[in-house]
Amino acid sequence: MAYIKERESTHIYHVNRMSKEEMDSMINRCIYEEPAYCVAECPMKLDTRAVLSAAAAGNLKKALSLYEKITPFPVILSAGCEAPCQKACKLKERGEGIAIREVERAIAKYGERTKSSGVFRMRKKKKAAIFGSGLFPLFLAGELERKMYPTTIFCQEKDCSDYLKTCAPFLSEEEHTVELARLKSLDLSFEFGCSLTKEFIEEKRDEADIFCGSAETARVLLPDCSIDEELMLVQELNMVTGSCSTVMEAALGAKRAALSVDRLAQKLSPAANRGKEGAVATRLITNLEGIPHSECIPMGENGYTSEEAIREAGRCIQCHCEECFKGCAYLREYKKHPGLLAREIYNNTQIIMGDHQMNKPMNSCSLCGQCTVTCPNGFDMGNVCRSARENMVSTDKMPLAAHEFALMDMLFSNGEAWLARKQPGFDTVEYVFFPGCQAAAIAPGTVEAAYQDLSERLGGGVGLLLGCCGAIADWAGRQEMLEDTKEKLKTELAKMGSPVVIAGCPSCMKQLAAYGIEVTGIWQILQEIGLPSSASAVHAPAAIHDSCGARGNKEVQRAVRELVEKMGGTVVETPYSGDFSSCCGYGGLTSYANRDLAKKMTESCLDRTELPYITYCMACRDRFVREGRESRHILELVYGTDAGAPPDISEKRYNRLSLVQNMLKNIWKEDLVLEDPGFTIEYTEDALAMMDDRMILKSDVVKVLAESRETGEIILDEPSGQYLCRSRLGNVTFWVRYTETETGCLVHRAYSHRMNIVKRAGQ
Amino acid sequence: MAEKNYYSIDPEGKIKCMKCKVPLVKGKAKFLYLDNGFPVEMPVCPVCGFVYVPEELALGKVLSVEKALEDK
Repeated sequence: MAYIKERESTHIYHVNRMSKEEMDSMINRCIYEEPAYCVAECPMKLDTRAVLSAAAAGNLKKALSLYEKITPFPVILSAGCEAPCQKACKLKERGEGIAIREVERAIAKYGERTKSSGVFRMRKKKKAAIFGSGLFPLFLAGELERKMYPTTIFCQEKDCSDYLKTCAPFLSEEEHTVELARLKSLDLSFEFGCSLTKEFIEEKRDEADIFCGSAETARVLLPDCSIDEELMLVQELNMVTGSCSTVMEAALGAKRAALSVDRLAQKLSPAANRGKEGAVATRLITNLEGIPHSECIPMGENGYTSEEAIREAGRCIQCHCEECFKGCAYLREYKKHPGLLAREIYNNTQIIMGDHQMNKPMNSCSLCGQCTVTCPNGFDMGNVCRSARENMVSTDKMPLAAHEFALMDMLFSNGEAWLARKQPGFDTVEYVFFPGCQAAAIAPGTVEAAYQDLSERLGGGVGLLLGCCGAIADWAGRQEMLEDTKEKLKTELAKMGSPVVIAGCPSCMKQLAAYGIEVTGIWQILQEIGLPSSASAVHAPAAIHDSCGARGNKEVQRAVRELVEKMGGTVVETPYSGDFSSCCGYGGLTSYANRDLAKKMTESCLDRTELPYITYCMACRDRFVREGRESRHILELVYGTDAGAPPDISEKRYNRLSLVQNMLKNIWKEDLVLEDPGFTIEYTEDALAMMDDRMILKSDVVKVLAESRETGEIILDEPSGQYLCRSRLGNVTFWVRYTETETGCLVHRAYSHRMNIVKRAGQ
Repeated sequence: MAEKNYYSIDPEGKIKCMKCKVPLVKGKAKFLYLDNGFPVEMPVCPVCGFVYVPEELALGKVLSVEKALEDK
């Protein structure tokens, strides 16, 4: 038996670099983090989705603190905002959009303000002077206060309340009171009752470093001055100002002006490095399927009360794109959107020293490709995980433990259980039947019946090829093994006269096609030549579980359905059938690397229907029956065979060997003698369950017992009276605990470890 | 200086080597994995050097160390 070599060391300090472009090309397809429609429309860049989420949870304090991030005066802004967000609300397609502005007004009015400690707030050295009143000077004062410029406001009004009234006359009394308290709490100096003459302004302007004011004050100094509305600047006066007529213009203008103030204070060009301003485009796609019609919560004259605002915010559906999560147990398990998960998995491959914490997630994806069809942009998580696995294998950083059993199983399929024969009486054959390793392991009787039928009814000779297509090596990221398998298969096919391969498994079909081999499915052949007389009648309606290998292959999907219908069955389509099918848990070696998750994948397939499943991949059939669902492979129905209860891991190997033995005997009249250890080995029920769970094969136990009989290296556990022996097979040490019987051994327990144990010098 | 032992098991005379017909004793052994070594004291045959790894250890501590090293 050939073994796969374990990596030699954990001390490998190089990685195969992945280019940033390579990573980003895939990661950027994920639109989960794209701004929601309302957020994208907001020129102030308010995270409206987060504000509504906090409000819906009843946390108006948090909602207000989010709102305060974009403006120093939330009450004024929310009262005068034109709410472009509302026009973009996705819910409008299902009735009325969220009354976002009204919710924000209620948040600004009723939300509790977060007190900032002010301990680390250091005032800047440059002083600012703002002349005049109005929305723009007010918002600018707020912005400059945030930026810690010592700011003085020179105005004609007699006090703060009067000033606020002039700036925002549209506020209700209640709103005025709230905002006045806010204005008074700011670190701003006022000089009230100023007459804003040219002389006064010029005198005071020279006392400050930064000169700002209303458009009117600018015109006092220079009647026909022109204002640069982008930079909010009058170049001739070196004055920051703006003529804003609406609240939104003022709030936004003040933000731009504050940036110009920063540039001027640092003696930089005000036009340089300003970043992106205003509304943005979003690539987000939100599916409204299942979202019911809804309308705004009615509101009184004074706007929403806090309770009403919370209810209205509760209507928000928190637009995200979560299409991939809905059908994929893997993404749900890790609770990360593919863009983030892919970045972490890519980064995992680039670790030079330290723990590779994303090894398990990388090895847990079933590589089924469902996300390529559920994602509006065709994100391919499988491709990310497969290329990451290949990358890790190429640097020898990939742990072998996760995939060793499956890879050994592949070597077994293409070693001891390999069979390649032409139909007796033919020098070359036109077809060769390739049932796939799982069909041979789970339903050997069905494979035998199918071969006999094909060889009888198809002219030109039908060969038989029992082995693995190489999908396992591909899934494990082992390119070298994949290449070897490809060569082996191609060589064998050439010997048979390059026949068309009739695949019995959609994944094999996909894999062989990728090698450039001409391949068709047995379903399509049966469609052409008709059902054999052995075909059973299907009475009850059944659901079809489409194989991930057949994703995108409508011809195969249709052929299977037609076969079921020809047998009298009614096919019931489930959500996620056809191209949208989820993996049963076998694909991508998930069942080896993360058994618990593979079980969840199976359960998630079973949750979609109560009906019995008809599958056309033997692995799906096996996993569904194991979880207690009545499930048959289409070929079992076509050939009237029953593979029965799912075999354990040892039986799966034995079935493949006995299939080779039977086929050789019945078709080619050759005898194959299976090895006999020369003594009997029996197992307790506990031992069998334990071995299946621990991935220990009967053949491993046989080897351990045979070797110990030869070397005599056996120990006796005197309290239990049981013997123990061990053997290192490949990369694993297996231990067997047994008692002697008259003819051999009764195995009680078996366990294994990968660490090697050796004796040290001295006692 | 005495070498640190990561783990120590004394067979207390309850396990016997069938090849050498002597009881196993607490002796020096070493776990090796992926170029890392861990000195331990395990039940060892004083004659042939057979080292016994009990099931609880193999599926407990040994497995967790294996997993930690595999992700290095």
